[in-house]
Amino acid sequence: MRLMITVAVGFACLLIGLPAIAQQSRGPLRIEITEGVIEPLPVAVPDFIAETADAANFAIDIARVVAADLIGTGLFREIPKNAFLSTPTSFSSPIQYSDWKTLNAQALITGAVATGSDGQLTVKFRVFDVFSDAQLGDGLQFGGAANSWRRMAHKVADAVYSRITGEGGYFDSRVVFVSETGPKNQRAKRLAVMDYDGANVQFLTDDSAIVLAPRFSPTGDRVLYTSYETGFPKVNVLDVGTIERRALDVQAEALTFAPRFGPDGSTVVLSLSQAGNTDIFKTRVDGGPLVRLTSTPSIETAPGFSPDGSWIVFESDRSGTQQLYVMGANGGEATRISFGKGRYGTPVWSPRGDLIAFTKQANGRFHIGVMRTDGSEERLLTASFLDEGPTWSPNGRVIMFTRESKGAAGARALYSVDITGRNLRRVPTNLSGSDPAWSPLLR
Amino acid sequence: MKSGAYISGMGHGGLILWALFGGLFLNARDPLPVQASNVSLISSEEFAALALPNEAPVIAVETPVSAQPSVQDDAPIIVPASEVSPDPPKPEGVKPPAAEGLPAIPESPITPQTDVVVQAPNAPAAPAIDEQSETVQPDQAPTPAPAPRVAPIAAPAPALDAEIAETTAPEIAPDESADTPAPETPATAPKEAATEIVTEAETPRFAPKTSQRPKVRPVRPVQTAKQDEPGTDPISDAVAEAVASETPEPAQPTGPPLTGGQIEGFRVAVGNCWNVDSGSAAARVTVTVGFSLDRSGKLVQNSLKFVTATQGESGAINAAFEAARRAIIRCGAKGYELPLEKYPQWKDIELTFNPEGMRIK
Repeated sequence: MRLMITVAVGFACLLIGLPAIAQQSRGPLRIEITEGVIEPLPVAVPDFIAETADAANFAIDIARVVAADLIGTGLFREIPKNAFLSTPTSFSSPIQYSDWKTLNAQALITGAVATGSDGQLTVKFRVFDVFSDAQLGDGLQFGGAANSWRRMAHKVADAVYSRITGEGGYFDSRVVFVSETGPKNQRAKRLAVMDYDGANVQFLTDDSAIVLAPRFSPTGDRVLYTSYETGFPKVNVLDVGTIERRALDVQAEALTFAPRFGPDGSTVVLSLSQAGNTDIFKTRVDGGPLVRLTSTPSIETAPGFSPDGSWIVFESDRSGTQQLYVMGANGGEATRISFGKGRYGTPVWSPRGDLIAFTKQANGRFHIGVMRTDGSEERLLTASFLDEGPTWSPNGRVIMFTRESKGAAGARALYSVDITGRNLRRVPTNLSGSDPAWSPLLR
Repeated sequence: MKSGAYISGMGHGGLILWALFGGLFLNARDPLPVQASNVSLISSEEFAALALPNEAPVIAVETPVSAQPSVQDDAPIIVPASEVSPDPPKPEGVKPPAAEGLPAIPESPITPQTDVVVQAPNAPAAPAIDEQSETVQPDQAPTPAPAPRVAPIAAPAPALDAEIAETTAPEIAPDESADTPAPETPATAPKEAATEIVTEAETPRFAPKTSQRPKVRPVRPVQTAKQDEPGTDPISDAVAEAVASETPEPAQPTGPPLTGGQIEGFRVAVGNCWNVDSGSAAARVTVTVGFSLDRSGKLVQNSLKFVTATQGESGAINAAFEAARRAIIRCGAKGYELPLEKYPQWKDIELTFNPEGMRIK
């Protein structure tokens, strides 16, 4: 009887196991790949075709701006034009994929520029996946005034970047910053705005008063900043289109600074110092009640909203050293998220919502770093004599910040770095600047 | 008794002789080599001049004034409330910049951003097929990334079908004519390696690499269940019937499986073209791609398809799939080097691209 049971169980196991074995051995060969390469993607950007005679310069310049935008990300590498085996002769001419495969170009961007009788410029482009012998997405064209040709070039680059990487671009955006002139101990500061790549600098204020910490609104049409026009710090709001400005309507006797817009564009969170104590408050940009969010004897400052507006990250020395904390948008108990060695400050929530950028001081050096919103996975991206004040690109991929060189003649300049810690670059402006704040993508 | 005396005498005699002449033999050895160095005589002043730079320099430490300048910039000047003017003076308006060479503050509003119209252009013309251009073959795989493995001696990437070993050895095929044919052994080669560690801090262009993932177990050949003829045993009959009903189709791949080295070689070949953007959302998506190869190792046209992916946004999944697709197409442009005799094993392949070890952490 026992033998019978044993035989039966054995056959039952066989009955269950055989299909599984057969299933495993049937079908395609399955392999997992865990090691790839990290290198810039080779792209070819021939000069755009000038479809009208007076569009010749625009055709060249726009192609160069598109290429510069893509190469500046560190994710692409441009194939030099002198290596081309063929170039498109017209926007509709067929693509000789084999020529571009020979150059190992993985993407090809072609375009054409034309000017209309009304002075309007038209830019159209296509992206080709060379090794698939196919066009990547549909062709697009942009129309606008001739003097906005750089914006159109940035828009082309944004579209190309998005199609290849699957993520939104950040090229058609602007940066507001504090332009600084003069010696280190007597610097004149003015608000200025520029394209993300340092072009088209325009000033928003004069140098009659110290200005600090400008912050764009979510729509990019207004800027909050701290001004010392009265001799004391006060939060001002400035309309970028009209450069009209006014002080935020909060307690007149209080010192207000470190403002930042909420994601709705109407809520403002700021630091308010009164009777020697600094706490975080919330109000509305067009006036409204001042709502206290923190109430401790320590210094709470540098608040900033999460993209969904439900959380606020800020810095506080309530633990004895300067650390980062997160609390609900209506205040309440705050959770400390930074525990590393050193001091943490100027936290900024990523537009993606997954990371918080910060300034860290440790061992006599300053760093720009990122961490998860719960404080985990801290990574330091830069290290120098003085790095501070991070701001996120609209797609959450790049961080711009201020770097000051050492010494009495040390100058402040704007730098950018990819969130991977690679592609550290100085923003090409002729001005000394600090406190950058990135705008959203322009419309 | 006498033999003992003789032995003792000979031993003592030998000892005396060694004591007398042993030193002579030692003295005859070559003297130890003497190391000599060329020296030059210098004066005490010259010595002092040479020694001077070795003295510890006076280091001028320039300490930042502020422990946290960002806070300092934003920090208010704390004053008693009574000193704060309730009504701040109105700004005098924007003045033109004093510094030369800087653009003036525009008196008129900044030019509003131009509205950009997005339109679809005319339909592109279908590209004509140029037979001559088709004869031009694309380049082989791009330059691979620096070897993630550090070894005392740099080693190039091994051949596709080579097994990883400490030494390089050619493949040995069985010699049918030999009396005692040698066993078949695959070619071996040391794993690709570099001689130094390149960190992100030193060269920020490269991403951190992690340790290699465990190898996937090679697919075993199908072991077809041998069915006995129906007998009188009802249990055996039932089992045979159940097996026949559960596995109606025989296993497709037949013949010997790919060796671990061959699979690793294929994995490396595709991985060399798999370009991972470690900072993107796509780097958090593991995607599986299926495709078929012809006997020359080239991709069968239109066979490449999306199989599955881990959860993620559609854009990230699409970007991950595109990166995988480009890798398979690019590095297989000339055909993957796989053993023809094992074609049924690699005719259909599903590659899972797992970037977990490459994403930033």
